[in-house]
Parts: sequence; structure tokens; C-alpha cells
Amino acid sequence: MIEIKGFLETSFSDWTGKLCSVLFLPTCNFRCPYCHNHPLIFHPEQYATLSWEDILTRLHSLREWIDGVCITGGEPTCHADLPLLLQKIKRNRFLIKLDTNGSNPQMLEALIEGKEIDFVSMDVKAPLDPFQYSRSTGLPINLKPILESIEILKREKVEYEFRMTVIPGFHREEDIQTLGHQLRVGRRFVLQNFNPENPSDPSLKNIVPYDPSVLKRIEKEVQAIQ
Amino acid sequence: MATVIEMKGDYQPFKEEVETTDMALFVRTSDEAMLGWDRQRIVDALIRETYVDLDTAKEIAREVEELIATSKIKMITAPLIRELVDTKLIERGLEQARKMHTRLGMPLYDVDQLILHPNKENANVPHGPEATNLTLAERIKKEYALLSVFSQEIADAHMRGDLHLHDLGFIDRPYCSGQSLEYIKRFGLSLPNSIAMAKPAKHPEVLLAHMVKFAAALQSHFAGAIGWDSINLFFAPYLVGMSDRELEQLAQMMIFEFSQQAVARGGQAIFTDLNLYWEIPKHFENVPAIGPGGELTGKTYSDYSKESQRFAQALFDVYQEGDGSGRPFFFPKPLVHITEKFFQTPGHMDFLHHICEVASEKGNTYFVFDRGETAKISECCRLSFKLDQTDLEDAKQPWKMRYCALQNVTLNLPRIAYLAKGEDAQLFSNIAEFVEMAVKAHLEKKLFIEKLLSLGEKGPLALLAMNRDGSPYLRMPRASFLIGMVGLNELVQIHTGQEMHPSKQAFKFGLKVIAHMKLLVDRFSQRYGMRFVLEQTPAESTAYRFAKLDLKFHSPKSGHIVKGDISKGEVYYTNSTYLNNAAVLNPIERVRQEGLFHPLIEAGALTHIWLGEAKPSKSSLANFVMKTFRLTQNDQIAFSPEFTTCNRCNRTNRGLRSSCAYCGSQDVDGITRITGYFTKVSSWNKGKIGELRNRYRNQAFLKGENDESSGSASLEERPSALRV
Repeated sequence: MIEIKGFLETSFSDWTGKLCSVLFLPTCNFRCPYCHNHPLIFHPEQYATLSWEDILTRLHSLREWIDGVCITGGEPTCHADLPLLLQKIKRNRFLIKLDTNGSNPQMLEALIEGKEIDFVSMDVKAPLDPFQYSRSTGLPINLKPILESIEILKREKVEYEFRMTVIPGFHREEDIQTLGHQLRVGRRFVLQNFNPENPSDPSLKNIVPYDPSVLKRIEKEVQAIQ
Repeated sequence: MATVIEMKGDYQPFKEEVETTDMALFVRTSDEAMLGWDRQRIVDALIRETYVDLDTAKEIAREVEELIATSKIKMITAPLIRELVDTKLIERGLEQARKMHTRLGMPLYDVDQLILHPNKENANVPHGPEATNLTLAERIKKEYALLSVFSQEIADAHMRGDLHLHDLGFIDRPYCSGQSLEYIKRFGLSLPNSIAMAKPAKHPEVLLAHMVKFAAALQSHFAGAIGWDSINLFFAPYLVGMSDRELEQLAQMMIFEFSQQAVARGGQAIFTDLNLYWEIPKHFENVPAIGPGGELTGKTYSDYSKESQRFAQALFDVYQEGDGSGRPFFFPKPLVHITEKFFQTPGHMDFLHHICEVASEKGNTYFVFDRGETAKISECCRLSFKLDQTDLEDAKQPWKMRYCALQNVTLNLPRIAYLAKGEDAQLFSNIAEFVEMAVKAHLEKKLFIEKLLSLGEKGPLALLAMNRDGSPYLRMPRASFLIGMVGLNELVQIHTGQEMHPSKQAFKFGLKVIAHMKLLVDRFSQRYGMRFVLEQTPAESTAYRFAKLDLKFHSPKSGHIVKGDISKGEVYYTNSTYLNNAAVLNPIERVRQEGLFHPLIEAGALTHIWLGEAKPSKSSLANFVMKTFRLTQNDQIAFSPEFTTCNRCNRTNRGLRSSCAYCGSQDVDGITRITGYFTKVSSWNKGKIGELRNRYRNQAFLKGENDESSGSASLEERPSALRV
């Protein structure tokens, strides 16, 4: 059974327009140097495993308020029994949002086909070429599953967004543009600013994030690409 | 009176037989004249100021003169003479006379400190000559209040920290007020004692100028906030036909005027609240609108819905932009009323998203929930008034809608619990006793203000006594008297052994305490025919003061109870009826549970949601706001983000940091809400700093981890969101 390592009861920022609870799952198959949840990936044993019953009780007491549950990590699709967890949530009539890096298209497709999830937010790390992608994820990456996941989402059988965390030095403005052109999903491509506090690679701490107004402008531009 | 009595350098040592009138003593008076020593001055002072008889006065004067003569003091100051006289009064057992003869003032050291170091009691006071003047004056008026306005019983209770009499330094003013723009629209700007009288404004810019000046005049007559009702609606008749650009300009002028009014009293920005409505409030729908020149436009306010809404939107555009360096505006505070009618008014969702975006990005928005048929006017941080039948009658002539609270007295609830020693009966009887003390304090202040007001337009409160519409500007019979509380959470903790957030039973007990207080104030209201109401005191410094005093008087027990860091002196009690700031409690629970107290707290209440660095989606916030309206009894909520603004590159970044995220400069200021308003963290008192360190910002998802780090976390190392 999946170990749930974290539970944020209410989030205003994980699912646009909705109030949701967030479940954090451990481990990941990527090693992004700017990762913020890295203790969850490298040292999941530091965190107590939460009991599903307790979580369910809390979810029920927030019933009227919470529109859904966001599953994040780590990388949730690393866990073969993720579908079981999702079914348990669904059975209690909550909407589900899945955060994924797109490395497990088979599971993604099965979940979508089985209508187990209501929203997918897929992290896109860099323009879609092996060199840039590997640099951003800290590992040699086979792009094929990533591209597959993108295709699956673009079939529009489920609500989705592509989310890119923008790090100066890793991503130039034209890189964001390039990715925008590769995706061509308009407003479904969203940018997220880098937060220099406690990244997985400590040397990134000194990187100055983009000015929010600049990032907003870039986002507007790439969202115009259909 | 800068009176110094100085002995001239080369005087002869006094001998017994020397007539003291020969003494080479000179008095420097404030008339810049030198007067010789004259013991008759002591006699005169005693006769003038006290009830001492002439013979005693003469005797005392002679004794003091002898004392000075024999003491070989090189320099004698007027305060010293006064103290010497006082010792003589004490020797004779003339306690009352000594009190009447007291000199008010400050030690040299204190004045020196004051001029050199900033004041931290109120973060809204900057540091500068004007601010120092304010503090000096406040100190003397505070002493005056404690000696002369309040009875010894009340003054002692304040000094002990049983209760806190707010704004003692402003003893000769009422506490805070709610205004109607209609007054200046109708009567123009014609203030008692002012040189020029202005007729009602014809143009929106002029109306704004009148409003700002009137606000400044009011600020010098009230201790606290100045609130303005339905400001977008009342401006509307002046805005007909204005372009978007012009409207934006006007909105910008309004916000900058109020946020930069730090040139007024004591260098303090005017604590301004703007009450805004998307809809036309029911009670103004059929009211004839006053337009340019103070004349009726022939229409009612419901005909100005479009202008009113456009202006509200323009104001929020300005808030969203922030000031010249992207910081949130500290003042004026926008309070948006969410009502049933709000949701029936077209365009409300777009507007709700707009104000939620501002709440997320800058934090300014206050969401005030007026459920059912109640209409409310908010005045200060959280003070609001429900309009009753007579008020709704007044609404037909909106310029009459002027309200005030005369004073705020806050009870030290943890103190009550220490004294009760776990006995229920004792606890509730102590509460009654404390509430009665607060009521007595109100009666005493009321008497004093009435005395000042009775001097009418020739007196010190001429502005409040001015009569343009058949009743004085300050409508005394409508005044409220606030009774606030600090540390309900700690009272419950001391009495039951558990804080309110982890235990349902403890929480229920908290409710019982507040319900009991409500019952008491209602009973006193009936008895005296006055409006006593419970209020959530913002307690910016009171929460710190009570905690410090209890550490002194109720140690060691209090050492386990006060929140914050004792070793750093950063101690506080939890404000009013709030749940522990550090409790890992999701915003839903906080809004829901704290909201259960709100119906009992008539003068208005507020729940804070500390956002920290997180920038939530506007539509999720809107979702939350709507659910709060529908599902809770919560009166008012505000979301508080945190910012770091750089003094070198003038840019503003999210979160509290030790250096600028853009240029690395260490010359930065943290900005967030202290109680009911935004301000720079560097100006906070120690108690609030302690609270800031503890605030739970809805981000640490693992309780264990959070507990571990919150004890030692400094501002810059506190746990951040575990989020990619």
C-alpha cells in the first residue's frame, strides 16, 4: 500500500478555482536540482506515514468546503498501486487532481480512460530535446514517455495543464518560447516562478528568480501560441 | 513650562540668618525673563492648585526655602522644588493635596531615549520630530488621565494590568469613528476655527480634497480609525460621464492621498477605512442622491450603480498595482461588504475575482460578511456597527450617519484565570468583576468627554460640537463603549489545562466565557442606557504588555502559559478570541471555529489567514470567500501575505527574507499585517515579533516537522513550503 507522507488539509494554490486537500507521496524518478520537496524524495523515512483512515475522517469533516484532492509528491505514478488509492478517494466522491512529470504514460492513460482522475497537471521541465530535458531533471532522460504523455493529455479526455517552473540560468526566455511552440496549448501552459529557498542543489540558492512582472509577460506571450 | 531656577555661580554660602529673598536665585520663565527667587510662588501654587489653607502653605514654603538654603545645591530646577513641596505635604499627611500638586512630565533620560529611538507601541507612528512630539504629549496626557480623569481604583487596575485603558494619551478625544461623505457633500468644508469656509464641492477632485482635509481634522479629534461608509457609492453622482482614464486617476489620487498623509498628526498616516459595495446597499436604494454643489440630482442612489461599480473597480486596480515600488498600500484599507444582494447583482463574480486577486497579490482586501438583513458599517481594524431601526431611519438622510466609539477597555482574561485557581464559580464572578471595572472606566471617560463637549464650539472639541444639521457632529447618545479581551485561549488553557484548538471541550468553555461576557455587557447596557459592546481588541501592544505583567505577578505558572520566546523577551498572549497563532490549523477550521465567536462580539470581529509566501489562485480564494459567507458565522476575513521590500533597488519580493532576492542587498524591510493593518516588521514590538515567528502559514504539511523547527526558526529560516 502507498505510504502517504504528507497531508495539507486546504490549499488555495494547487487547483485553480477549487479548494483542495493535498496528499504528498514519497520518491521520484527524476532528480531536478531545483526540487523543493527533495527531503520527501531522498529521505522519506524522516516523515511518519499517515493513516488513510485519519485522512479520510478529516476529508469528510471538510466535505462541504473541499472540492477535491490533489495528489502530488514526489512522483505519484512511480507507485504501481496509485490507482487503488485514487479509487478509494473517488469512492468517497471527491474530485481528483494528479500532479505528474509524465514519465508513466501507461498509467496516465489508464487513469484517464477509467475516469479515475478529473484534472492532470503535468510538469514540463524544459524544451523537448533530450539534452535540455536531462539538464533540468538531473538525469539522462528518455523523452519518449514524456512526449507520449503530452499526446495523451492533448486528446482532451480530461482537464489538464502543463506547468513549467522557470529558473534563470536553466531557462532562457527563448527556451520558454520554444516549449510554448512545441506544446501549442494556449492558456493551458502555465509558468511558475523559481523559489530559491532550500532547493535540492544548494548552489541554486543564489539564483535570482525572474521578476514576477516579467514572468507574467512571458506567460501571456506563450499562452497566445495555439 | 521650561522653567529652570538657577543659582548664580559665585553666591555666598547661605547662613541661617540670611533672608532668603536675598538669595541669588533666578527663575527663567517661559517668557524668557529672569525672575528672582520668591517663596510666595510656592504659596500661590499651593493655594491655586490644592485645598491647603494659607497658613500651612506659608509654613511649607518657608520650610522648603530653608531646605534649599542649607542643602548647598548648585542648581535647582522647578520640578525639584515641586517635589520638595510634595515631601512636605506628605509629612503632614496631606495625601490628596500632594496628588493635586503633582507635576507631570518625563525624566531627562526618557526624553533622550525617545528622541533618539523609535516608538514601538504603535507601528503606525514613524520616528521623527513630529512623532516625538506626539509621544511626549501622549505621555503627559496619559499621566493626567490616570491621575485626574479616572478614579484611583480604575487607574490602579490599569497599572496592574487587570485591564488596559486604550489610548490614554488621547484622553481628551473619543476613540474611533465612522463618517458619511454626505456630510461634506451637503455642508461643504466649514470647520470651526478654520480661516476659510468652502462651499460644497462641484468637482470630484475637490470633493476628494475636502474629504482628505476633513479626515485630517477628524484625526486630530479621534484617537483611532476614521472609517468612511459606502465611499464608492457616495462619490458616484460626481463621476457621471468620466472616462476610464479619469476615473483611474481619481482612484489613484484617493489612495495616494490617504496613504501619504503621514504629514498629519504625529507623522502618523490617518488610519482610514473605505467601505465599498458592489451593489447599492438596500438602505440607500431609494435615497435621493446628492451631487455636485451639494444639490440633489433628482435621482436616487440606485441610478448610480454603474458609476459606483466602476469606481470600486478603479480603486482595486490601484491596489493591485501597489505603490511606486510595488509594495501594498498600508492605508486606506478597503473593506468590501459581501451580502445576499452582492450575489444577486450582475457582474459580482468578476468583481469578486478582482478583489481576490488583490487579496492574493497584495493582501489589502477585507471581506466583510453582512448576512441576512443586517447592514453594517465598519470603522476601524474590526470595529463595526450593525444598523438598527433608528439608524435605518437616518439612512434616508445619510449625512446623519456618524458614529463613534468613545473608548476601548480591554480585559486581561488570563489574569482572571490565574486568580480563579481552577474554580468555576470564582472564574465567572471574577469575569463579572472585571467587566464591571471596565464599565466604570467608561462612565468616567464619558463624564470627562461630556465636560469637554459642553463647552460647545468655543471648547477644545469644537469640531465635534459643531452643529450643522440640528445635532452636534458627535452624536453622543449613539456612542458605543467597547469592552475588549485578550487571551481567551490562555484563560481556557489555565483553567481547563487545554488550549482551545486541540480540544472541543476547551473550545466550548471558551464560548461559554464569551457568552457570559456578552450577557454581562447587555445587562450593563440596560442599567445605564448606554451601548456597551464586546470587541475583538486589535491589541497590538496590549497582548505583549499583559504577558509581561503576568510573568511578573503570576510566575511560575504564567511561564508555561505565555506564548512566544521568553528568553528573547518576545512574549504575548493570543489576541482576543483567536485560536493559537502557531496551531497547525487549516484555514477552513480557523474561519469556521473562530467564526463561532463572532455573533457574540457585536462590535465586529475578524479572522486572519496568514499566507506567508504563498500566492493562491484568485478563483480558489473567491471559492473560499463564498463558502465562508454561506457556511459560517464568520464576520470578516483578511488574507495576509508577506513581503520583503528592498531599500536599495526599490523592488518588492514575496516572503520575509533577510536580503533582497533581486540585488542581494541586506538593506530590506519586511512587510505584513501586524493586527488590522500592514506595516514594516522593523517597527513591531517584541510581543508581535514573537507572534510573527509563530504564525502558521498553511504550508508545513507535517506536524512533527513544523513543531521541530518552529521553536528555533528565525524569520529567515522558518520552514518554507515544500513545493516544487
